[in-house]
Amino acid sequence: MRWQRTGPPRWLAGRCAAFVLTLFAVITLNFALPRMMPGDPITALQDPESSLYVSDQASRAALSHYYGLDQSLIVQYGRYLRGLATGDLGWSIRLNAPVSLLIQHRILWTVLLIFPAMLAASLVSMVAGLHAGWHRGSPLDRGLIVLFAGIRTLPAFFLGVLALLLFSVRLGWFPLAGAQTPFAHYRSPWGALADLLHHWALPALVLTIEMLGGQFLLMRNSVISVLGDDFMLVAKAKGLSDRSLKYRHALRNALLPFVTVLSIQLGFAVTGSIFVEAVFAYPGMGTLAFQAVSARDYPVLQGVFLVFTVSVLTANLIADLAYARLDPRVRTR
Amino acid sequence: METHESTDCKRGPERPSTDGAVAHRSLLAVRELSVRYRLPNDLMLPALRGVTFELGRGDTLGVIGESGSGKTTLALALLGLVPTAEVEGVVEFGGTPLPLRDDRAMNRFRWSQIALVAQASGTGFDPVQRVGDQLIEPLQERRGLRRDAARERALRAWDEVGLPAQRFGHYPHQLSGGEKRRAMLAMALAGAPALLILDEPTSGLDSFTRVAILDLLRRLHAEHDLAMLVISHNPDDVRQLAQRALVLYAGRAVEVGEAHDVIESPRHPYTWGLVNAYPTMTRSKDLWGIRGEAPDPMCPPSGCAFAPRCTQTIDRCQAEIPALMPQLDRLVACHLGGLRLLLEARRLSKTFRDGPGPPVQAVQDASLHLGEGEVVAVVGQTGSGKTTLARMIVGLLEPDRGDVQLQGQPLHSLRGEARRAARRLLQFIFQDPYEALSPRLTALELVREPLDIQRIGNRAERDETARAALAAARLPTTREFLAKRVHELSGGQLQRIAIARALVVRPKVIVADEPTSMLDPSEQARVLRLLKDLQNDHGTALLLVSHDLPLVRKVADRVIVMEHGRIVEAGPSEQVVSEPRHPYTRRLLVAAAGARSQALRANGRAAPETVEAEAADDRLPAWKPPGSGREIQAGAAAEE
Repeated sequence: MRWQRTGPPRWLAGRCAAFVLTLFAVITLNFALPRMMPGDPITALQDPESSLYVSDQASRAALSHYYGLDQSLIVQYGRYLRGLATGDLGWSIRLNAPVSLLIQHRILWTVLLIFPAMLAASLVSMVAGLHAGWHRGSPLDRGLIVLFAGIRTLPAFFLGVLALLLFSVRLGWFPLAGAQTPFAHYRSPWGALADLLHHWALPALVLTIEMLGGQFLLMRNSVISVLGDDFMLVAKAKGLSDRSLKYRHALRNALLPFVTVLSIQLGFAVTGSIFVEAVFAYPGMGTLAFQAVSARDYPVLQGVFLVFTVSVLTANLIADLAYARLDPRVRTR
Repeated sequence: METHESTDCKRGPERPSTDGAVAHRSLLAVRELSVRYRLPNDLMLPALRGVTFELGRGDTLGVIGESGSGKTTLALALLGLVPTAEVEGVVEFGGTPLPLRDDRAMNRFRWSQIALVAQASGTGFDPVQRVGDQLIEPLQERRGLRRDAARERALRAWDEVGLPAQRFGHYPHQLSGGEKRRAMLAMALAGAPALLILDEPTSGLDSFTRVAILDLLRRLHAEHDLAMLVISHNPDDVRQLAQRALVLYAGRAVEVGEAHDVIESPRHPYTWGLVNAYPTMTRSKDLWGIRGEAPDPMCPPSGCAFAPRCTQTIDRCQAEIPALMPQLDRLVACHLGGLRLLLEARRLSKTFRDGPGPPVQAVQDASLHLGEGEVVAVVGQTGSGKTTLARMIVGLLEPDRGDVQLQGQPLHSLRGEARRAARRLLQFIFQDPYEALSPRLTALELVREPLDIQRIGNRAERDETARAALAAARLPTTREFLAKRVHELSGGQLQRIAIARALVVRPKVIVADEPTSMLDPSEQARVLRLLKDLQNDHGTALLLVSHDLPLVRKVADRVIVMEHGRIVEAGPSEQVVSEPRHPYTRRLLVAAAGARSQALRANGRAAPETVEAEAADDRLPAWKPPGSGREIQAGAAAEE
């Protein structure tokens, strides 16, 4: 029933251009910020007050030369960009390994944690929010609000520690740390998968719960505001069943703001994952970042931040595309 | 407006009246319907109080009222769409009571029996679904049609409201306001309902689209056996679409009757104010809003809800809620039976025999009446007898035959105290303030004098009242000004003093004989506006005697045209000006138009007139072409 085909939409080109521009700004910031901050390890190497001070003049110069600090900022920036283009994110000071390789090893674990958690949280909050909003003011609604608002006030690390204490220490249902049983030999790939899921379940659950509160409240508000719209009254005056009203009209429209905020939520999910991974000693990007912070491992931090920001940006772009799928007003202007 | 006579519903005796309907013809019977919204703080907000009416099959009823009068609540309540409200009363549809409080059960009636064309058709469609799909939706779900059959049926309705088929698959935001309105109508029609509820069918549309929608609605009503409930704040919508009209104020029906009659000659003071506040109702008159504010629904007045804004209240109005009672041709909820007849002159005649020549028949058989808050203009050239008529009406001249009734009392046979009381109710403003105002008195004394004569209040109170009256007449109240005498004041200021003097005793009727003819055009406009403004505020009836038809039509509700002592034409000013019936009226209008173009040729300068001569009309009237933006603005400003 398509009556018109819209050509290559102009808004899409606009969104992509904005994406590229923001990406460039982010990359530049990522270069500039560490150089503006006091207390990086290279400075520490040169600082006689610091414990890391390298007293040998020649070594200091060699280090500076190695990290390119004896060059002008423009040259450093050029090298940085060239490095990025070839996938070179620098060299970890702490682990003495290329940052890109470190990230490569870790990123899958984090993706494994964040995406299922976000998906689960979105689905649960969508259903719960729709019903709470639909039955606004009912005991169900009030109960759900208290529950989710309560969850929302708990910080991720607290929730994580709580879950560890209860399920791993007290009940012993789940392992205490890591993503795999170390030095284990599996008889089949299924055994490996089971072990993986066993380790994965608790941190994923905590991260899900962490995201649930905000998403639920958002969905509920979004539903309530849609229910007050004129078209809902008109639809009701058509004598449609509650099912049609709820799913075809209320849900579809309430999803619009929800999708927008979901991409912003990804940023929070990344932060949440740093805490959750730290608590569960899960070998993802979060732990990498966490350890890099304690060791002032700036090249690693820089790399991790770059990956995080680029993924949030990409999520925004995807959300924009999804929004256009859902809202014809954006698509067919 | 001419077209509606032909296409508008047949007005016949077989149509049921509001109270005693013929049972088999009755489609909708609303009895004592009350709706109270429950607020979040658990207070109850009454929106509709005991509304009763009936609607036959194929009949049309218009519901008129300001925003907040309960119109939309009525529409929604009939469909059981007021979930947060307490609904009392009975609504019968096709002889069986509607399950208003049972949301599920109401679904059987919604759309398929009673369809709603909601007020907000701009936002009435789900923005993320194609409009066509939204038409198909109920056909599939409610009628159980297959998709292609539903589509075919929906497209038929789509075609019927005059929308092109390629628009069917568009999204709501791709349609214009008028198209959305039509699509909304198509969606309602697709269910083949017996009753169509139209909530503000034309609000927010430009006038071309509005006319097209009204035409479409009339056509649909004629072609289908469709009863319509037209809800609008615009009386003209109702006049064009409905046979009968019900006027709502603060949730109560205050007037019910034939739509045309209710709007053309309102009987309830509120209807009167509402109709006069509408630009579409008149092309010549300025707009005057209803004074005061609509009541706060949380604490409505104890008696009649309109009493605080009404100009004719009696004690009972504050104490008791008036019931809807039959008054001649309609139902009116007013303790006074609607707008009071303030003054009635019956068959007045006067012949002057004291001159040297033959007796002059100055006025013959002239009858007129003046209702509460009404402005009536008596127009005619010099010697037409209008001044004689005015003087008889105020009792300055004894008629040979006929009588004048002031609030039901015969004015000319009153004596003593009763006569003085009647005098207070009836004030006269003379043509020439230089002659009418005593040169001995100061401005303050001039205005205070009627109070002195009527012995109202003590000295200090009278001074205070007089000062207030001067201020109301937009005159300064400085000590210097109050001490000025007639020769120190301009013509415009003097005429304003005369107006303040007339108003200071709070009369019910003011008769003004050429009150602006001595003034230059700009002062003339200002004084006339002031007079109308004060009249509007006080609810005073105004009889305006003038030779200047184009001028008085700006303020007059009705115009009476006199020639040679006889009334030759009378009617609503709009009608008299746009469709004059009597040749003399036509001549008056042509002469005025001629004088205007002449005066314009003379570079817009007009000599101040001293003597009313044969060519009484050769003056540049101080009015602008009707409908110019400035006037509307000024009208709005005056409303404030």
